Amino acid sequence: MEQYLFGCRLEQDILDLDQTMEHLQQALNFTAHVAYRRGIILFVSRNRQFTHLIESMARDCGEYAHCRYWQGGLLTNANVQYGKGVRLPDLIVFLSTLNNVFQQHVAVRDAAKMNIPTVGIVDSNCNPSLLTYPVPGNDDSGPAVELYCKLFRMTINRAKDKRRQMEILYGLKSQND
Amino acid sequence: MAALCKAVCVAKRGAKLARISCRSLLAFGKLYSTGDTSEFPGNKEDTPTAEKKLSGFAAAFELHSGLQQKHDIAAGTVGKSPGSNEHSFATLLKQSPLVQMGTSKDKVAVGKIFHIVNNDLYVDFGGKFHCVCKRPAVDGEKYQRGSRVRLRLVDLELTSRFLGAKTDTTLLEADAVLLGLLETKPK
Repeated sequence: MEQYLFGCRLEQDILDLDQTMEHLQQALNFTAHVAYRRGIILFVSRNRQFTHLIESMARDCGEYAHCRYWQGGLLTNANVQYGKGVRLPDLIVFLSTLNNVFQQHVAVRDAAKMNIPTVGIVDSNCNPSLLTYPVPGNDDSGPAVELYCKLFRMTINRAKDKRRQMEILYGLKSQND
Repeated sequence: MAALCKAVCVAKRGAKLARISCRSLLAFGKLYSTGDTSEFPGNKEDTPTAEKKLSGFAAAFELHSGLQQKHDIAAGTVGKSPGSNEHSFATLLKQSPLVQMGTSKDKVAVGKIFHIVNNDLYVDFGGKFHCVCKRPAVDGEKYQRGSRVRLRLVDLELTSRFLGAKTDTTLLEADAVLLGLLETKPK
């Protein structure tokens, strides 16, 4: 995470928010494109303080959230656990990449195994390597997570509205993929 | 979609920066005032000799700043919007309360209680982490969700590296002493 740090002051690491801004814009742009193309977006976070906030945000934008215990084979063993022909998420957004014992969430590794792109908010104690679109930022404070929720909800809603508008304008048929 | 917003933001920021620099330079440019900013340099022979003749870069600058102002007036974006932030991150950080505060030891802060579990008050004072304080004996029932309290900060994050550990162990909490409710002047 050193490349994302502005510096260290009084034993506190300061993230460079100019870099965060660029990363966040790329991540939101990608999320918007996935939502536009009717992808399934899954929000994951094991931070118990924000479970309700993230689940209600996911419901508000018509996407999915998994903020509870993650079973080992959810992604990698989906055909056995959920039956054949299960559709896996097309994007996984981590609002915190760590689980409750400060280890990396299993879903980061599993999404990489299953070729699912990931967006993740990485704090200074996280490892951004496996994420497709890491966003260096604060994942611990209430106002920070509320901001991310607001941005993702706004992005996804706008993308879906645009899709509906384009369908009406150009008469695109709804596709099954 | 976000790429569009970025392009618009950059364009707006560029326009605003140009406007600010126009204004600051026009303050100096008043020394070289001409009657009409859209005049071409060739017509300057007709102006009275009391006004200095513009040429080269100064003339081009006057011309383009006049055009920019006209465009701004037409677009209805004259004047800096109150929400514009053109400072770099370094400036914002330097002027932020976190840096202006210095060390957090023995600093008094105002926090808001956002959660209560029996006698434990979870107070958010604007730092990265919240602090947890015991409900005091005096005026205990006045401490409810949403009350503002005064705190004396001890530590912004309770973290330490223990023997034999590779990384620090953190409690994800700050440490502060509850001084009391925020005293508001009676109206």
